[in-house]
Amino acid sequence: MMHDWLAPKYLLWLWQGFGVTVGLALCAGVAATLGGFLLALIADARWRGARHAVGAYVVAFRNTPLLVQLLFWYFGAATLLPDAATQWLNSAHVVHLGPFALRWPSFEFVAGWIGLTFYTAAFVVEEFRAGIAGVAASQRQAALALGLTPRQTFRHVVLPQAVRISLPPLFGQYMNLVKNSSLTMAIGLAELSYASRQVETETFKTFEAFGVATALYILAIAVIEAVSHAVSHARDRSLARR
Amino acid sequence: MPWQLFLTNLPYLLVGPFPQGPLGGAALTLVLALSSAIASAVLGLALGIALALAGPVARVPLALAIGFFRAIPVLMLMFWTYFLLPMMFHVDVPALAAVVCALSLIGGAYLAHSVHAGIRAVGDAQWQAGLSLGFTRFDALRYVVLPQALRIMAPSFVNQWVTLVKDTSLAYIVGVGELSFVATQVNNRLMIYPIPVFLFVGFLYLVLCTALDRVAKHWLGRVRRPAVGHGVLAPAAGD
Repeated sequence: MMHDWLAPKYLLWLWQGFGVTVGLALCAGVAATLGGFLLALIADARWRGARHAVGAYVVAFRNTPLLVQLLFWYFGAATLLPDAATQWLNSAHVVHLGPFALRWPSFEFVAGWIGLTFYTAAFVVEEFRAGIAGVAASQRQAALALGLTPRQTFRHVVLPQAVRISLPPLFGQYMNLVKNSSLTMAIGLAELSYASRQVETETFKTFEAFGVATALYILAIAVIEAVSHAVSHARDRSLARR
Repeated sequence: MPWQLFLTNLPYLLVGPFPQGPLGGAALTLVLALSSAIASAVLGLALGIALALAGPVARVPLALAIGFFRAIPVLMLMFWTYFLLPMMFHVDVPALAAVVCALSLIGGAYLAHSVHAGIRAVGDAQWQAGLSLGFTRFDALRYVVLPQALRIMAPSFVNQWVTLVKDTSLAYIVGVGELSFVATQVNNRLMIYPIPVFLFVGFLYLVLCTALDRVAKHWLGRVRRPAVGHGVLAPAAGD
């Protein structure tokens, strides 16, 4: 099977798609981590109503397909917004910061960002909760016995250990996030999978188009894996030095 | 949404154009999930056992192949099976088969690691006990290790099946008329009720997944002998 390789123009499309994938995953990753952490704090709250609300959130968002959630945000939630807001979202907005131009993303990107954030947060909260639950009860008791307030106990004794336990599965969730971002092509976001489909229909070079996209996904996963490795080793070393 | 509209569209969401046309909607989602659940369980068991039995040399290509399927999105694999297989082998692969193929490969790759971990968790002593009683390696696996390992890895199987049910929605992208696909059809037809349509479809998936999760875990809980210890981590919240 000797073909000509993909023209540079199409490689550029795929590269731009990869950029959108990475950008989307980064935005959603940051938001989902913050949201998941907040939910994990609420899940341990004293008020029962809050705990049940978090439980219901987790069940609802984990047990429905991300695709349906994305379609809901894109087609459904958009109708709830006032017309002015929809128009604002659909038009281009550019903020100039010196040499850089910061462009407000397309509505597809925002819907994908929201959908991925809510979905991933439902998984992240469980990783944080497992981490907090994995810290031995005696640690908390020891800290309280030393005279630390409950807040100080959580901040300086429980949290560092919990984060250490949660980090590896958390990076697993980030990998899932990159892979899940491919679903946003269903709502028309021009990310990597969308670009590969587009290149394929235009060039009929199925193998090359999907091959490059697949390799880029594997590259992204490998980078996350490497970062995960580096971060946990760096933490181990910094803890050993104390 | 007025009840009349809801009721007229309900059969289409549940079975698609079934009596007159091919099966679709939630029923097709179930068929897809069931067939890929069985296929992925078989594949996962085979790969997991192979991982556990393979020597250090054979393990590397096996782990790489499994790693490949774990690293790429389901959607990407669906493109491979749907668009590329027909071109390479000059056969017409029906969309349904391509979807089941992709879902089983990914599910199998994920389960392979659970099976491998389950077999390792049983411990070397059980292997040695089996071998010293005169079992062959395969018989020791079949009669001593695997029955215990299956009990350990059962929860991962259930979780993977729930994921499978959700992932069948990706068949939408290659135009298979399962629940998500008919949902967008109904949504396009009704035009002004996207929120009720997608909430209802989400609810159907929720019922499907939660029921599967609860029933399977309840059943496994009864099968599991009380003597078997539980994991170190606290059970996941939301159960």
